[in-house]
Amino acid sequence: MKINENFVLRQIADTWVVLPLGDATLDFNGMITLNETGSLLWNLLEKGCEKADLVNGLLDEYDVTEEQASADVEVFLNKLRNIDCLEDL
Amino acid sequence: MLCRIAELTVEIPTAGGLAPRCKDYMINSADIPDIIIDDSLYPYDSFPDRLREAIEYTHSGLQFYRQLLDLGGMMLHSSAVEYDGYAYLFSGPSGMGKSTHTGLWCRTLEGARVINDDKPALRKMNGIWYAYGTPWSGKSSLNVNTKAKVAGICFLERGTENKIRRLSKKEALINIIAQTTRKKLTEIRMDSMLSCVERILEDIPVFEMECLPDENAVLTAYGAMRPENQGEK
Repeated sequence: MKINENFVLRQIADTWVVLPLGDATLDFNGMITLNETGSLLWNLLEKGCEKADLVNGLLDEYDVTEEQASADVEVFLNKLRNIDCLEDL
Repeated sequence: MLCRIAELTVEIPTAGGLAPRCKDYMINSADIPDIIIDDSLYPYDSFPDRLREAIEYTHSGLQFYRQLLDLGGMMLHSSAVEYDGYAYLFSGPSGMGKSTHTGLWCRTLEGARVINDDKPALRKMNGIWYAYGTPWSGKSSLNVNTKAKVAGICFLERGTENKIRRLSKKEALINIIAQTTRKKLTEIRMDSMLSCVERILEDIPVFEMECLPDENAVLTAYGAMRPENQGEK
């Protein structure tokens, strides 16, 4: 999976916002916010990876169980699916 | 025709209904324009059912907005009322009662006037944020070719009582971005917009008020937002 190139992540005043660019704004004129964890996962996804890589990314960075990490990744991915910015590699 | 809008020289095609809207902004000068509105870009074909004048109004405003981004400013979907030397911006989705509220300011506070009822231009000049009247002021066309220092921005919600609170930077960020145009922006312009928003967040207090359409709402907002009453940001 990877992020559609029409979506970008920007950090503003301690918040990370995901915004669509160009024509993507015609389908979706909203935005979503991410926290620091979400921004870490986003950066991994930008280069393209699988869910397992995202879970490992969290496990490397935070002291959580694999179950917890997997659940957090799923919440994150659903956020992205809602704005339709995920695509297959 | 050449106009002076938000302290910028703007070249605007005289087509359609724009000339009457711009009459308070027209100037006689040979200045090189800071912003040029190009009528060959008006998307008539994309909106075959819309009046040409409506397309000209909307698209000229959009071109102005995008070029204003290039110059470090932006427009916020809000009704800006000027009172006692300061501009108070009331923002929120369409239909939330922004114009109703600023209309009440004019009836409640002597000398208050709406300087832009739809999308005031915002620019930071010499360290101070100003809101400007422009010809693009929505259906009511309420606008004054003037500027006023911004005291604050307030997002309105319909409520059962008048209650105002300061927003956190994150809440303010989300609300401001939601009320500024982002359609088909290039990455560079989107970054200009975000940079402008970031500066606004540092300098201008942002509030949220649930309110009734009454005089007390005006006094509640004014009481909290007037510069003398501003506490620590």
